[in-house]
Amino acid sequence: MRSLQARLLAGVLGSMLLLWLAAAAATWFDARHELDELLDSHLAQSAALLIARQLDADDDDVPRDTPLLHRYAPKVAFQIWHEGRLALRSEQAPAQPMAPQRSGFATLAIDGRVWRVFAARGTDSDVQVYVGEQIESRADILRAVMRSVLAPLLLALPLLAAALWWAVRRGLLPLRRVAIELERRSPQDLRPLAAGQAPAELAPLLAALNALFERIGALVQSERRFTADAAHELRTPIAAIRAQAQVALGAGQESERRHALHATIEGCDRATRLIEQLLLLARLDARANTDGPPAEHDLAALTRKVAAELAPQALARGQDIEVHAADPCHVAGEPVLVAAMLRNLIDNALRYAPDAGRVAIRIEPTAQGVNWGIEDSGPGLDAQQQARLGERFFRVLGSDQPGSGLGWSIVRRIAERCGARVQVGRSVALGGLQVDLQWRPAGGSAPMSR
Amino acid sequence: MRVLLVEDDPLLGDGLRSGLRQLGFQVDWVRDGLAAERELRSGAYDAAVLDLGLPRLDGVQVLRSVRGQGTAAPILVLTARDAVPDRVQGLDLGADDYVIKPVDLHELAARLRALVRRASGQAAECLRAQGLVLDSAARTVLRDGALVELSGREFDLLHALMRSAGRVLSREQLEQTLYSWGQEVDSNAIDVHVHHLRRKLGTHVIATVRGVGYAMAAEACVS
Repeated sequence: MRSLQARLLAGVLGSMLLLWLAAAAATWFDARHELDELLDSHLAQSAALLIARQLDADDDDVPRDTPLLHRYAPKVAFQIWHEGRLALRSEQAPAQPMAPQRSGFATLAIDGRVWRVFAARGTDSDVQVYVGEQIESRADILRAVMRSVLAPLLLALPLLAAALWWAVRRGLLPLRRVAIELERRSPQDLRPLAAGQAPAELAPLLAALNALFERIGALVQSERRFTADAAHELRTPIAAIRAQAQVALGAGQESERRHALHATIEGCDRATRLIEQLLLLARLDARANTDGPPAEHDLAALTRKVAAELAPQALARGQDIEVHAADPCHVAGEPVLVAAMLRNLIDNALRYAPDAGRVAIRIEPTAQGVNWGIEDSGPGLDAQQQARLGERFFRVLGSDQPGSGLGWSIVRRIAERCGARVQVGRSVALGGLQVDLQWRPAGGSAPMSR
Repeated sequence: MRVLLVEDDPLLGDGLRSGLRQLGFQVDWVRDGLAAERELRSGAYDAAVLDLGLPRLDGVQVLRSVRGQGTAAPILVLTARDAVPDRVQGLDLGADDYVIKPVDLHELAARLRALVRRASGQAAECLRAQGLVLDSAARTVLRDGALVELSGREFDLLHALMRSAGRVLSREQLEQTLYSWGQEVDSNAIDVHVHHLRRKLGTHVIATVRGVGYAMAAEACVS
């Protein structure tokens, strides 16, 4: 049942009906008990009277039938037996003894009808009396009692339903008002909903909605800032390309022209890399909500592959890059994304490590899962810079490295997606930056916390 | 004309420096805000091109700081920050021009010339004195309507003197205008250039103030 109103109505009316029926059942049992007691005592009394009358009566061998005295009389019957012969009986009574027992109550069938029969014997003479009454008459009384109990309910129920419907509708009015206000809103309108006259029950909902608005607002804000930043970041390489191309055009000497043209191509490469990173981030954002279960793959093999791709860049600068991984280490995450994350981390380490510097990667199984660590012999980062890593377009100031400022955003986003924890610190062995990715054991459910 | 270029991006800085040099500027390039602040305070520059997103000291703070200390050199802000509030802030803090990246080198050069011109109280691109007409954009000098062949340094020296016509410029001031960092300057380089100029334009054009420097008489004083 989807409607709150219908649910409330059904709940209230249903429980009321149940209570009423329970009360009626109790009344029924109670009334039947009292009725049985009363009527049984009447039967017993009638029997006593008949015994007393028979003692006074003349002895008569011919059984007599008493006339039908009243229109209700067919529902009752009696027999008086004297010394084994039927002395007197009512018109309804059979010719045989009405009950097998000599004394006491019995409920039994006579000629297809159910009777309540009381048997009694005279004390000093051989008189046997049976007094009976059709059970049906008792049921009639009970039915009448129940009718009077249940009739008001049948009348009251529709009235009650109407009253309830009105009250519930009125009670839910604030909800409808909130719905209307939300319906009228423009998507840009993220102001909090006023909790002013809303009932207390709505307050948690409103608070949750307002918190949601705030989060959406922050998200929109960050997206806007990102667009602005992206435009900003693209302008510099494009300005460089343009300036260098113009220098090449105006160059008087061949060497100057060649230098400018090489710089132009370098600028294009940088712009391309920036755009690739931006596209990767945009795809990550777009796919954030359409997660399937993360696939599993061998982190060691993937690391070797990415390291091999980047090795020429390291060798050109005389840098030493090493991968320490003993066994296959299976972790969760889409291989394409994990490779992008590893590429960014290794590329960063190689960029910031000096010429002839060292970069070491270690993959080790730990108690918590798998640890992937990279360290370099570069300058490292201070605590403040470490805290700002992952802000889009944050670049370490004073470095000549033409990074896009997006690498860390990408690393953090992908790590989040495959449930890996990122830790940044200073390398004890090499003195530069140390980055650790910690994976939960493969096969366990990867948390997608945000 | 000596210009300070402040740009942290290596590729763009290199391109701007080469391009402005091709267009006849002496360019010194610094890559961070602190260096920019220091160089601007030295007063050695006719103008500056200032990026805003700078390491160590943001360009906005550089502007605030040098203007707060009374540095008057025209500053052209060249930035990727294109939002109107950014532009307003930049201009209000004392930038003389606000240009969004990317920029055409010729336009940048023209804007720099315009800034320097305005700073020296000159309205048109052409300077006139002593029967000479100097076009700083075309880098040409006419004497009585006839084109005079000048070397780059000779042109820059004449330009500096004509920009400050009526004022005496010391040898050091002239050297600063003519040479950027790392260029060898002979001790008598300025004297040699003045000598050549006098030969080409006539001795009376540039006056010597002994022990102080050189000056070009303002137009009004002559006629």
